[in-house]
Amino acid sequence: MTCWSVNRRTTDYVDGRLRGPELARVEAHLRRCAKCEVRLHDLSAVRETLQHLPKAKSPLNLRTKLRIISSQERKLLLEADGSRLRLLWNDWKFRMQQLMRPLTIPATGGLCTSVVLFGALAFTIGTTTQGLQYEVPVMDSGHIDANLVPVELRSSIVLTLSLDGNGRITDYAFRNDSRSVQGDASALQHHNIAMPEIPSVLAMQQPVSSDIQISVTPMIFRR
Amino acid sequence: MAHPFLTNSGKLSILAGAQTGVSEEDARILRGLRSGIEGAYEELIDRYEQQIFAMVYRLLGNQSDASDVVQEVFLKVFRGVSTFREQSSLRTWIYRIAINEANNHRRWFVRHCRMEVPMEENGPEHPNCLDLTPDPGRSPFEQALDSETRTLIERALTQINPVFRTAVVLRDVQNLSYEEIAEILQVSLGTVKSRILRGREALRRELTQRPDQGLAEAMA
Repeated sequence: MTCWSVNRRTTDYVDGRLRGPELARVEAHLRRCAKCEVRLHDLSAVRETLQHLPKAKSPLNLRTKLRIISSQERKLLLEADGSRLRLLWNDWKFRMQQLMRPLTIPATGGLCTSVVLFGALAFTIGTTTQGLQYEVPVMDSGHIDANLVPVELRSSIVLTLSLDGNGRITDYAFRNDSRSVQGDASALQHHNIAMPEIPSVLAMQQPVSSDIQISVTPMIFRR
Repeated sequence: MAHPFLTNSGKLSILAGAQTGVSEEDARILRGLRSGIEGAYEELIDRYEQQIFAMVYRLLGNQSDASDVVQEVFLKVFRGVSTFREQSSLRTWIYRIAINEANNHRRWFVRHCRMEVPMEENGPEHPNCLDLTPDPGRSPFEQALDSETRTLIERALTQINPVFRTAVVLRDVQNLSYEEIAEILQVSLGTVKSRILRGREALRRELTQRPDQGLAEAMA
């Protein structure tokens, strides 16, 4: 074995990795070559000295600093990584809330208000219109002669009166078989219509604000 | 006839061929770190703080710098654990980060602080002995010799090429195998052996060049 061959195996020899015949050949060379022998001996001494160097002990505060770092990083991890789904969920929720807020509040409020009002007023809702079928004879007996005989005309008149809440006539309309007339209260006399006092005639207990339809059968008196 | 999926060792070839990189213990710690479990962080610090500090201290030769670098290393480990692909062992990965950080720190120091004079004299020429753990297997006499020898070797370590110093420290101070060193430095086994040899040769030259003391005396 030459010095070059030994040089190639120096690291393995110093580290004790040579075995068997290869180790024997290197040792045989070292016995013959003082230069290689000194060199390998020195290198072995270097290695041994390095191995016996005392281990550097870390400063006491290093552990504390590392714990602080680990705590901070752990917190970041849990916030960012561990709750990624939660963050996505929260983000989605936030966006949906922003999107729906203009719609949900009026819709919900309106619905609730409707339900409450319906519930409150449901019992008061009912028809206030009562069909009254009165046969009220209208005649002025002070002008009727005893010898006169009432004769019913064939044509009848249907009078529709619109009353305000105080029983006053605001509008009227009447029609007979041939024509239909509409007008306001002031035109009643113009059409030769003399109306009795409606509330008293109809014996109404309450003011009426709806329309009243009166069927009138005109009569004449003949001798 | 042997089962086609069985290797000579009797393991399933699929499993034998799979390169998981990390041991069960590493995998457990990694799972803990990724889940944010406090105990995993504690265990990682317990296992690697001292090792990493000792190595970085030997690479930089300064306790304060080593402390700063170790903090950077652990910060990178904590932040990078989610992207660690587990193709190497946890120790290899942490050592690789530590060496890169130490190299970065040394380059930064050379660029910015080489003209500054430190207030705290705890460099290799004035190591803080209180923070160094003596080898318990050495007698007081041997330890007295060690003190002198340590000063010589530590001074020599600072003088050699950082590339060779790293290889020597990993092998002779940290007692890592060639294979581990190759994985950490991401070089071939031949390169590892070459760097270790050249580092030791450089140390030998540094020590033998001392006019007042020969290597044999220094290493006695």
